[in-house]
Amino acid sequence: MPDDLVLRTVDLGYAYVPGRFAMRHLDLELRRGEILGLLGRNGAGKTTTVRVLTTLLPPTEGTAEILGSDIREGGPRLRSRIGVVLQTEAFDFVTVERNLTLYAFLWGVSRESAKARAEEMIELFELQKVRSRKPWALSGGERRRLQVARELMHDMDLLFLDEPTAGLDAVARHRILGYLKERARKGLSIVFTTHIMHEADLLCDRIAVLHEGKLLRTDTAQALKKAYTGARRVTIEFDRDPGTSRTALLELLRERGRGIEIGRQEGPGLSFRSTNPEEMVALLTSWAPPHGLSVTRLDVREVTLEEAFLGLVGGHGPEEGTGELVEEP
Amino acid sequence: MRLPSLLRLVVRNFVSNLDPLAMVIRFGQPAFLVVVLGTMFSALVPPGTVAAGSYMAFLVPGAIAFQMVAGGVIAGNLFWLDRRWSMVEQIFVGPFRRAEYLAALVLTALLFSLVGVGLMILVAIPFIHLPALTALDLAVILLTIAMGGLFFATFLIAIGTRLRSANAYFTIQSFIQLFLVFLSTVYYPVSAKTPRLLADVLYANPLTYAANAVRDAFLNRLGTTDVLALGILSGLSLVTFALAAWGFRTMDPGAVQ
Repeated sequence: MPDDLVLRTVDLGYAYVPGRFAMRHLDLELRRGEILGLLGRNGAGKTTTVRVLTTLLPPTEGTAEILGSDIREGGPRLRSRIGVVLQTEAFDFVTVERNLTLYAFLWGVSRESAKARAEEMIELFELQKVRSRKPWALSGGERRRLQVARELMHDMDLLFLDEPTAGLDAVARHRILGYLKERARKGLSIVFTTHIMHEADLLCDRIAVLHEGKLLRTDTAQALKKAYTGARRVTIEFDRDPGTSRTALLELLRERGRGIEIGRQEGPGLSFRSTNPEEMVALLTSWAPPHGLSVTRLDVREVTLEEAFLGLVGGHGPEEGTGELVEEP
Repeated sequence: MRLPSLLRLVVRNFVSNLDPLAMVIRFGQPAFLVVVLGTMFSALVPPGTVAAGSYMAFLVPGAIAFQMVAGGVIAGNLFWLDRRWSMVEQIFVGPFRRAEYLAALVLTALLFSLVGVGLMILVAIPFIHLPALTALDLAVILLTIAMGGLFFATFLIAIGTRLRSANAYFTIQSFIQLFLVFLSTVYYPVSAKTPRLLADVLYANPLTYAANAVRDAFLNRLGTTDVLALGILSGLSLVTFALAAWGFRTMDPGAVQ
């Protein structure tokens, strides 16, 4: 395993019941300082993957190496170099502050360092007002912040975060994501599962899309968006409803648009995705005046990661797509 | 200086999960039993029924032996609280072996039992006049408490690893505790008048052997039966420890009800 490779899995699989795999044929790599997002629907195998990689569950098949050690044999030495924020809430029956220092004590962090780090985490995760409360007296968001903060009380090379921002408000989410990005810049590698596509797009260097226990694709967010259709979304608005000209307009789009998917088409507005958006925009702006219409709004943007994700797991991608016009949901 | 993992886990058990009020009640309960039951039951147990002479002298060593059950219950509770609050999962992904966590639970229980024994003796001294303990007597008492504590702690933990519901665990634990207390020789002896079936059940209970061995040590009359009892208790403890270790190795520490 090369020095900068922190994690590598080959054909990794786990079956809760013999023969019924929750995750299978997983090939992943993660480099030092890289943030890898695991994206997938509920039950796609994200949490199972994290549980296997953090040694909670033994792999049913395949291999996984973390920091040069096989996860089956790494034991406490391997685990002393990783941090894990579980999806389930896990706390000690003590105050917020004591939860932080007690956890640091468990990890063997010195009393002085623990105290200093606890202060840093309390401030960073905005827990000042609740530092003397016990976890069950906190709101859901505060408990989640405490759980992430607690894991950052010790040093590590690799951090697993299983939906760490679930239930957090936008401000807290941005603060945590910003901090994680900063830590990654300093060399911490992160495996991150989330349902929030925008978050994955912002944070992750690469994204692995899981579906029904299988890895569909691993790539950068940009490449995933491009690979989906290579398309961009065009939204156009005329000064009035095209009326009877609409049929002719749609036919023209179908004829000239490449990989086109037409979405909203009500009133004076029209929205579609195509792989030749510039050409289509030119076509529409020259088509409008002879039909007594003028363009009042024009917007061309990248498809979102969510659209790419839906395409991948919903079978609407370029490979699986029918090429037919598809109504947007 | 960094403590070994095992001791860090023990400290964490004491700091995190042992509520002060619960500890006061747990430690106070046996002493309360000695004072209240000892004086009240004395009227029900006629003089000469027990070999110890007074009922109080009979009860105190039995109640001391019962501390091993109390310790076992503490270990089982700690484990289940950690499971319920997902801390087992969190600790399992930390820099520890599962066996270390198991050992920490047992060690916590034993420390708890020994403190309980010390308190019981302090409370009992003003009420009874027991002969002075020899080094051998003391060693047998401590060894019996340690082996019995290990047995009950790992027995309850082994059961806990197989269950996924707190309700089921605490119901089973209460049933076992009730069975152990009332079907043992902690509170009353086996005599010629004891029905045969009851005597058989009493002798099927490991707490009976522990209570008898502790009682004999307190009365300076240790014999081969006590050595045998200690041997049986040690053997049973090894079996339940192996079961608990197997349970830890194979359990899915995921969410429970």
